[in-house]
Amino acid sequence: MTRYGGLGRTRPKKLTSKASIPIVREEDIDALEEDIQNLQQIETGVEKAEESEFHLQVAINLTAQGKVNDAHIPTPETILSSLRYEELYPPIFSQPATYIRSSATVEDCCGCTYNMTEEDAVFLKIYNQKRDPSAQCSEDNFEATMNFFEETAQAKQPFAAVDNPPVLSFTEIEQAMDAAVEEAVKHFAKDIYPHWKSRRSVENNNSLEPSLKFETGQDTDDSDPWVCFRRREVRQIRKTRGRDAQSAEKLRRLRKELEDARQMVALVRQREVARKEMLAMERTIFLQRSEVKDMKRKLNIKDDDEDLINQKPKKKPMEIPPGQRPNAPQLRMPLKGGLQGAEDLQLLEDVQAEKENEILRDIKANITKHIKWNEGYVDHTRAPLSPSPERTFDATAFRPAFTAQLPTPPSSESSGDMMDTSLDVTSPLFSRDKLASRAMEMHEEPNRMPSFRRRVGRGGRLMIDRRNFAARCKIDMDPFKADRFKFDQEDSDEESVFETDGFSIQIMQHRAITMAKAREQAAVAAQAHAQAQAQAAQVQAQRRLQNEQSGNQAAPPAPSAVPASSEA
Amino acid sequence: MGVRDSHGEAAGTPDPVEKGFATLNTVRIGVKAMVQKDAELRKAEILSIRQRKDGPSFYVHYVDFNKRLDEWIPAARIDLSHEVEWPQPEKTEKKKAATTNKAPSKNVQKRPRADSREVSGTPDALGGKNMNVGKASRPSKAGGKENRDAQTPGGDVSMFPSEAASAAGTPRAGDSEDVDMADANEPKEDEVKTASGEVISREEEIERLRTSGSMTQNPTEIHRVRNLTRLQMGKYDIEPWYFSPYPDAFSDVDLVYIDEFCLSYFDNQRAFERHRAKCTLVHPPGNEIYRDDNISFFEVDGRRQRTWCRNLCLLSKLFLDHKTLYYDVDPFLFYCMCTRDETGCHLVGYFSKEKDSAEGYNLACILTLPQYQRRGFGRLLISFSYELSKREGKLGSPEKPLSDLGLLGYRQYWRETLVELLIEPNREAMSENELAVLTAMTEKDVHETLVVFNMLRYHKGNWVIVLTDYAVGEHNKRLEKEKVKGARRIDPARLQWKPPVFTASSRTWNW
Repeated sequence: MTRYGGLGRTRPKKLTSKASIPIVREEDIDALEEDIQNLQQIETGVEKAEESEFHLQVAINLTAQGKVNDAHIPTPETILSSLRYEELYPPIFSQPATYIRSSATVEDCCGCTYNMTEEDAVFLKIYNQKRDPSAQCSEDNFEATMNFFEETAQAKQPFAAVDNPPVLSFTEIEQAMDAAVEEAVKHFAKDIYPHWKSRRSVENNNSLEPSLKFETGQDTDDSDPWVCFRRREVRQIRKTRGRDAQSAEKLRRLRKELEDARQMVALVRQREVARKEMLAMERTIFLQRSEVKDMKRKLNIKDDDEDLINQKPKKKPMEIPPGQRPNAPQLRMPLKGGLQGAEDLQLLEDVQAEKENEILRDIKANITKHIKWNEGYVDHTRAPLSPSPERTFDATAFRPAFTAQLPTPPSSESSGDMMDTSLDVTSPLFSRDKLASRAMEMHEEPNRMPSFRRRVGRGGRLMIDRRNFAARCKIDMDPFKADRFKFDQEDSDEESVFETDGFSIQIMQHRAITMAKAREQAAVAAQAHAQAQAQAAQVQAQRRLQNEQSGNQAAPPAPSAVPASSEA
Repeated sequence: MGVRDSHGEAAGTPDPVEKGFATLNTVRIGVKAMVQKDAELRKAEILSIRQRKDGPSFYVHYVDFNKRLDEWIPAARIDLSHEVEWPQPEKTEKKKAATTNKAPSKNVQKRPRADSREVSGTPDALGGKNMNVGKASRPSKAGGKENRDAQTPGGDVSMFPSEAASAAGTPRAGDSEDVDMADANEPKEDEVKTASGEVISREEEIERLRTSGSMTQNPTEIHRVRNLTRLQMGKYDIEPWYFSPYPDAFSDVDLVYIDEFCLSYFDNQRAFERHRAKCTLVHPPGNEIYRDDNISFFEVDGRRQRTWCRNLCLLSKLFLDHKTLYYDVDPFLFYCMCTRDETGCHLVGYFSKEKDSAEGYNLACILTLPQYQRRGFGRLLISFSYELSKREGKLGSPEKPLSDLGLLGYRQYWRETLVELLIEPNREAMSENELAVLTAMTEKDVHETLVVFNMLRYHKGNWVIVLTDYAVGEHNKRLEKEKVKGARRIDPARLQWKPPVFTASSRTWNW
């Protein structure tokens, strides 16, 4: 450490921003020891030329002396205006309970952009004096007309400020009147035009509304203090072949997607038309049947009335009553890979029918068993024909937890909180049992798979029984602990469940893109393949031809076909 | 050559000011004279001259006072019994002494352009050709003759007042109303020093403004004669402080009307009243992101609300000297503070913020409208800007240069914020970094604030933060005041805001 002139002082240690500095009160340190501070000059951040300003210097000096609040910089004063504020600013605001959200622009809120001046008001007064009240021009109509003139002039003479053309003639303005122009404007235009023209002439054919000065593309722009709000140049993107190809590809894909969407709509339409036909048909059938019914009554025919009800077609024995079948999904777009995935999907109807059959079988078996059981006895109990407790462990009652893969993770339910779903007993598929099913995939034996049974108890209580749990899997662990093993297995075909919204735009987009890509690749491959084949055939045909001709001609023409590989 | 050499030598010595007595007729733009102001004499530079019916009036800037105090004065207030300082001769020539031919030619090129812009129809009354003489020569012995290129060497000052008087006296006929707003502000130098002391050229500055930032350092943009006389806004009549590029027709009217809600501007009362009858806007056109018992904050996107934000910038330029309107408002977000009543949400002040600041600024321009100043609103605005930085998880600092009022406001806020943290019980030690993280101030600002208020000291071989008696006293005073009046603070819990995210394409397409 360097000593300073033997004064017993050392150079101050370097102070880093991370260094912890003790906080003390002023009375805790002795005043003598000070005086090293302020070695560095602190920048004020004020423009150098203005730092010396009198009032600022006074304020800074007062600060240095610790009298901050005495510092005062005089500013020009503001006074209350004589304006009739209440008339101009009516009390129309009522604050909503929630925070205001608004995107309306100034233009949206201001109505007609032309505002009449005193000069206009005088003209309008004189104009209206001559007319009876029904034919008078209102201020609004006057402004609308003037605004129309201004806009037309702006559209027809966009560079009026630069090249000074003559004021637009009335015939030119009339040409601009189309259907979009209000009737009132058309009506008053001719009368107001001279007034507008005279005002325009006074202003050198400049816009009547004072406007800001923007860039005109002239050299003087740069130094003109009135020119403001210049555009910033768009940042140049480097043009490369790759980027060109990319955007072409994007456009192509976009076109394809639009095409797909169009096709889908067309198909939907087709379906709806067919449905409508079907409904009409059903209606005629119904009407005819009711006629038949009446006729039968009248003629007193008694048969089994089979012609009055729909015969279930034999081919689809498991038709679900229409009420049970949810209608909504039919309208939905097939999810991921709708074309390939649909065949793999188990239909809900099939599963339900199977289950129903199972139950029926069970009941029948039970009844026969019960009868056998009670042979030689008179049954006085009112016991129901419920399966005996041992029976519940019959494998048939429990449905194994299928780990059938859905093409996408079930969307909305799975996105719920783990904490929530683990309490939700009625939907075991989505609770921690889900972990179980994943964990159990390692065990091949089907009878050891975890299985579930749903029962409806008294009062409609739902109960879920489960089997094969604690024995083999780690399910009874704390879910947090179980979570640690989540990635232990290499269950590659199980997609880990990300919390996604299946219908979010990005995901749908992604799906559409991957689909389109796959299809395109397939198409390209198929095309290449076909081409190769065709060319091979061609070559062969030529060879054959040559072989045939070789007897006659010495030099066969070289095959002009190019190998297919270069194109593929 | 000899002349130039002598100039080159003069450049090294400080201020070779030429002094001399002047008459009313020889006083011209660029002259510094003594002027009566509040019962004292102040040195003032004459920036513009115009003819009124009752004689000429002069636009003066008081040397070493802020430009917001510049004003038009009648000739009677100029005290010609003192010597005046004549404007400095051409500086570019001194600088470019090496390239001898270039300097004068450049000089000539510049002139006509300036004339065509500045001088309007009527010929100027006093100066004749010397209208834009901020940088031009002093009158030579040659009287009214062109003397741009014929620089006379200094030394013979005593001679020319009388001659110049005769020269300037002639063209002075038949002028009743003035219109000439002459401008003293041709660039004296093309290079400008920024607050941080580096030298940048005009081109560099424009490039800097293009890529970011909202502050100009260029004297051509800031040394301008105020163009609006008075402003009517809401319940108040306001005197503008600085130049703002409102339509140039507005320079001629006595009162400009500003709609309090949409900030549109009118030079005609009837038009303004008609507009008010139609306008339905009652709050800044954006989303409310903060609301407490007294105030609301609205976030307005410069790109989506271009008209409103332009109007706001024009208005605030009247009170912010260094604000530039050179480029458009697209890359900024505007955070507008309002008070509410049954007529709507009245704009009290605002600050703008770059959507993406390359320099890490958390605030570009800040303004409390003059009718609401000195009531603690500025502190709320500053505090809110740091609250946003906290949400973003960033440390921030305001864009430089600060104005004088800005500096005082910020220093006060910084001191109070730091003291508030340091004084908390059980705090024994803290690093500057910790302070920065807790306040969202940059470490530099933390450090400098501690130094400026003499709170960072070296004591017995160690650095200590001293809670000075003064700081503690002020803190207690403030607490007491808050007890009486109620605390005016930003409550972070009431801020409903996520930092807006902008995509790469919005960057490419100018936000």
